[in-house]
Amino acid sequence: MSEIPEKRKIEPESSFLGDLMVPLKVFGKALWRNKAGLVGFIGLVFFLLLITIGPVLVPFDDQVKLDQIAAPPGSRLQLLVHADDAERFRSLQDFEGQGVLAYVEKTGAEDLVAPYVDDPNYTIEDFRFRSGRGVRESVDALARDEIDGLIIFSENVRMIVNGPDAPEAYQNLVVSNEGLGVPHLLGTDTQGRDIFSHIVNGGGSLIVTALLAGMFSTLIAIVLGSVAALQGGLPDRMLTAAANFVLTIPRFPLLVVLAVLVGDQLSNFVLLAALIASLSWPVLMRAIRSLVLSLRERDYVEVARALDLGTGHIIMREILPNMMSFVAINFIFATTAAMYLQIGLIFLGMAPITDYSWGVMLYFGRTRGTLFSADSASMVLSPVIAIALFQVSLVLFARAVEEMFDPRLRSA
Amino acid sequence: MATGAPAVREAKEIGRPANLLVTTFQQIWGSYTLRTILQALITIWAVITFTFFLIRLMPGNPVDVYVDYLINLENLSYEEALSRAASQFKFDPNESMIQQYLRYMGQVLRLDLGESITSTGTQVLDQILRFLPWTLFAAGSGLLIAFVVGMILGVIMAYNRNSWADNALSLFAAILSAVPNYIWGLLILIIFGVQLNLFQIGELRGTYDPTTTPGFNLPFIISVLEHAFLPVLVYVMGIVGSWMLNMRNSTVSVLGEDYVNVARARGLSQRRILTAYVGRNASLPMFTLLAINIGLILGSSVIIEQLFVYKGMGDFLIWSITQRDYTSMQGVFLVITISVVLSNLIADLLYSQLDPRVRVGEGSR
Repeated sequence: MSEIPEKRKIEPESSFLGDLMVPLKVFGKALWRNKAGLVGFIGLVFFLLLITIGPVLVPFDDQVKLDQIAAPPGSRLQLLVHADDAERFRSLQDFEGQGVLAYVEKTGAEDLVAPYVDDPNYTIEDFRFRSGRGVRESVDALARDEIDGLIIFSENVRMIVNGPDAPEAYQNLVVSNEGLGVPHLLGTDTQGRDIFSHIVNGGGSLIVTALLAGMFSTLIAIVLGSVAALQGGLPDRMLTAAANFVLTIPRFPLLVVLAVLVGDQLSNFVLLAALIASLSWPVLMRAIRSLVLSLRERDYVEVARALDLGTGHIIMREILPNMMSFVAINFIFATTAAMYLQIGLIFLGMAPITDYSWGVMLYFGRTRGTLFSADSASMVLSPVIAIALFQVSLVLFARAVEEMFDPRLRSA
Repeated sequence: MATGAPAVREAKEIGRPANLLVTTFQQIWGSYTLRTILQALITIWAVITFTFFLIRLMPGNPVDVYVDYLINLENLSYEEALSRAASQFKFDPNESMIQQYLRYMGQVLRLDLGESITSTGTQVLDQILRFLPWTLFAAGSGLLIAFVVGMILGVIMAYNRNSWADNALSLFAAILSAVPNYIWGLLILIIFGVQLNLFQIGELRGTYDPTTTPGFNLPFIISVLEHAFLPVLVYVMGIVGSWMLNMRNSTVSVLGEDYVNVARARGLSQRRILTAYVGRNASLPMFTLLAINIGLILGSSVIIEQLFVYKGMGDFLIWSITQRDYTSMQGVFLVITISVVLSNLIADLLYSQLDPRVRVGEGSR
């Protein structure tokens, strides 16, 4: 860790760009050497894009589609017709001047038929949803030959038309077109809303809060750790005692109590981050304290002290640059820990639900029982995998950074 | 609190002279132990005080929660509900906090944790004694298994450092510890329970099968093990990674020490080097980790027990928080803190037994 300042002083007059290129090259090489770290880095870039550009591309699906409730991944709308019409009607355009096309309201089919509704060449009929009965009524109408085609959700085809208690009249109905419109990549939730859009939109607040919490706790640890080590005496003893005290009470239960205490104000993510940080600093603080204790014996610090450059200068200019790598790695680990605490809090329902984050998806998965039904697994599985991938990316990246700064860790 | 006293006396008695060398040694040991125990007692007191006031700062009190419940579910008027709640609870919301605190501290000194506020007639201590064994069993086995597996794998990794096996195991350990343990729990539930139907989630709720009779009989023991299996597995998955990596790094650094090379040069057997030279020294830092991990595992039991509906301390804590049952909450925090402090103490004392440098260094200061 102490090699860095020497490296910096190699070319004092090099340009700004040149200065920037050197660490970038080192960084690229380190990632190339550590393939797992490269995967982690790519994962992080992916998540960064997901939470910044994702919400613009895939807006949050807030439309309750009552007949697509908790559908498995890949589900989409299908065109149901009579068996002998299967060749004739393959797309919505085939209905031009040909027959009656029908759909059920509030099922997401509205968007598909919208361009044709006002066209006089098309006859389009809509069935009212009426708490689910509309779906069955529309299939009945098709079976009775009142309509020629029906836009229906693939789940309903499976349940109503191909199910074990389907009436005889449904036997000659077939799906003529495998899928219309945008498929639900990850299926739909208990309100028929697209889970993929929730995954895209639900990571931002969690990741930002976790990064903030990681930053806060690292800052607290640096300040208190360096002060304790440099001041010594009473401040040192008091700060160390405070750290040990916070460590004694298990963090998560204490966080739950504090979260209840703070109440609705916790929807402010800065406050949540600060709360998490207030319980997360002690381990790193103790590590930084001992690191500073050893760094302070180094010659260059002795010189700075002899020149009477002041504690602030010693911390900022002499000691901090020499533990940057340690701090950076621990910042990443603090972020993963904050993610753990934060999602745990939401999972237990102890934090106010403000936006539909991955944690809230887990909470609803647990409280609404979708966790226990095979068809709706996607509602819980999707955020679970998103969280797991994010955490793994962070840790793999941290390991690559660690290796970059500490050549001893490099494998031969 | 009262349990500390005999230990202190014992420590003094050990200090009684036998011969001069032993006396000085024992005095140092005695004062180290004494100091450690005293620190533990002060910590416990501080935590009781801190949590006492923290808990009572929470919005709403048990009477409010019960009044809310009565108004919403039994359609009583506010006055009716209040008088009913007041008659059922011994809790007096108007008693000053300092009075409550002094009364509580007096009780705690007599090992009395008071009566549960919301379930009148139930002693908090009884409640805790009902739930604690399950958490200790599940979390304790998790810790122990993770400890043993992590140490063994860590040593294997260190001996084969930079081989493909080491790299693969390191990666595996990093991924294991990166993902929150409750996320592993959810994954296991969804994949093995719901999708593959390898076990019935509903039947595995609770701590044991209610159709069996608790006692020392085979069906009961089997059902206890079955019900604890998933929580224990998840606890292990959550912490084994950090044990593996720490043990590996610790062993690698010990393997580079001169005394190991000397032992090799002396032609000592691999086994003797592993146990007496490498293992003992490499496992030293693990004891400080042990205490941190106990805190972690007790903390995470709150989520894991909710997830698996395992009726232990974590589950009890969430229940008492939602009911604002001050005395129960306080009792749980007290017990959790005592376990952490106690395990810290044991780790410290074990450490000083394994590494004489610690107690000599501390004692002579």
